[in-house]
Amino acid sequence: MSGIGKYFKLNLNSTTKQTKGNSCGCGNTSGGCSSQVNEPAPVKASCGCGSTSESCGSHNEAKVSDQEFFEAAIDAAIGDERKKDGFDQVFEVKMDRRTAFRQLTASLLIGAGAVSTSCSVTTGEGTKEKAQIDWEEQFKGNYKLMTDEERNATVERLVRSYQLRKKKNINMSSKDAVKDVLFGYAFNISKCQGYMDCVSACVEENNQDRNSQMEYIRIHEMKDGKGFKFDEADDNYYHEVPAEGHFYMGTQCFHCDNPPCVDVCPVQATWREDDGLVVIDYDWCVGCRYCMAACPYDGRRFNWSTPEVPEEEVNKDQHYLGNRMRKKGVMEKCTFCVQRSRAGKNPACVEACPTGARIFGNLLDPDSTIRWVLENKKVFRLKEDLGTEPKFWYFMD
Amino acid sequence: MNRKNYIYILGCIFLFVSFSCKHSENEYHSLTDKIEGESKNYHGTSISSEQLLEGIESIEITEGNHTFLIPERKKQIKSYACTECHTRPLQELKSNDTIKKAHWDIKLAHADLNTMNCITCHNGDDMDNLKSLTGSTIDFNRSYQLCSQCHSKQFEDWKGGAHGKKVAGWAPPRASMTCVNCHNPHKPGFDTRWPARFNTQKVKERE
Repeated sequence: MSGIGKYFKLNLNSTTKQTKGNSCGCGNTSGGCSSQVNEPAPVKASCGCGSTSESCGSHNEAKVSDQEFFEAAIDAAIGDERKKDGFDQVFEVKMDRRTAFRQLTASLLIGAGAVSTSCSVTTGEGTKEKAQIDWEEQFKGNYKLMTDEERNATVERLVRSYQLRKKKNINMSSKDAVKDVLFGYAFNISKCQGYMDCVSACVEENNQDRNSQMEYIRIHEMKDGKGFKFDEADDNYYHEVPAEGHFYMGTQCFHCDNPPCVDVCPVQATWREDDGLVVIDYDWCVGCRYCMAACPYDGRRFNWSTPEVPEEEVNKDQHYLGNRMRKKGVMEKCTFCVQRSRAGKNPACVEACPTGARIFGNLLDPDSTIRWVLENKKVFRLKEDLGTEPKFWYFMD
Repeated sequence: MNRKNYIYILGCIFLFVSFSCKHSENEYHSLTDKIEGESKNYHGTSISSEQLLEGIESIEITEGNHTFLIPERKKQIKSYACTECHTRPLQELKSNDTIKKAHWDIKLAHADLNTMNCITCHNGDDMDNLKSLTGSTIDFNRSYQLCSQCHSKQFEDWKGGAHGKKVAGWAPPRASMTCVNCHNPHKPGFDTRWPARFNTQKVKERE
């Protein structure tokens, strides 16, 4: 083999002749360059066609000169396009009538569609605006990289879009993380009674899909004396609680400080904010569900269908990274109710819990109750040895 | 090897060590280190609960190292002051059949009768206040002082914030519910009840 350099030096329009005497220069990786050969060449000389196999059957030094062979190979590969450039490659293409008509019709339809929505006098202003909003939303960037103006703009578009579609006003925020705040959560296992008021509050607050009954929080009913056996626990019980001989514990997104879900996202649609919240840009997510697989706590949920919430139940107090309406095929999860927590309120689950088992606060405030719990109670976290550093502690009375 | 080489090698090692051990400012070994490190220069945040607490009447209490707000109580009691009815001694009120019956719905289910009865907490001679085990006066607004006589462990947790609920948000100023905001003092336990929801979809998915 003549060395790897050849792959990079290959120049199809080259005026410089290939120098190696007995090498073939087809750029084909399949090893089947199309020069005419009568017998498999038993030559040990180097073969420069992309394939590493030795079956490049084109060594025929006597019949074809290198230069001629080179030209022929290129002609076979790219043909006319070699002489054309830019527009000519697209417009001066030989095609039969059928293909021509087909392509013309298709492009006409697309063009007509775009023109009719944007320029038509018969369609209303609303439709045009909707089309304009959809267009701009389609081509906006990643929220993480947006400037404040761009963030405000996309929020305004989403609010306007909702107004146009549903004739209702929503209130959407793009409030950023505040300095000197790191959110943390503590869960008292001895207090939780399994009432599931938190789950209900969460679903209502965060506009989760009612059809698939998506829930961010899971309450596990565990047998006393068995310890944390998630495989034996029941997270979908329906009987009077607390049941004799059982204890209850809740799991949700733990907002890890070293979140594995963020690392695996191929498009950086999920990230950790400065206040510790792990959030998702629903408009950037491609729905590959890598994060779902990477999460060791089953904290993430996927929208298999378009989420539906009855109009009168929609929580209209929304945040771009939080409970705004999602679409089909994107991930979502608990955000510690970013729309509430960044406004100083407790997450919906904390507020709804009738037992006081849930404690939420600022980990950086030495006088906060969450800090008192961490410093004075015997706290632990789930799967601590994974190094994910969840900001969600469990403790007992 | 001569001295110069030694010094050179030592210098290199020193440089290597000093650079390789250097952390960037935001790097911590663990979350607890991060919390400790970043909270050293904590001087409050711009988020406050004050707006959320507007319209909620509260009183400030200081217990141990903790100072926080609890909801005002007396105005929430329907017929306070008690002396509006309790002008005469209890015995007299009880024996008189002509006056409207009161507190008939209160059944004491708090400890057993050996430990507690009405006058463990109430004072027949001073109905407008509660009384401690030793007979000193406790204001209705600070009824937690009464509870803490026996429930000292819960009291510690409550002061720190591990027991009970906050009134509004997480942000300072802290406002916590007091004992009687969740527990009925005459029947402090809770009954079993049905969960708020049941996920039928989950059942289908797991079939």
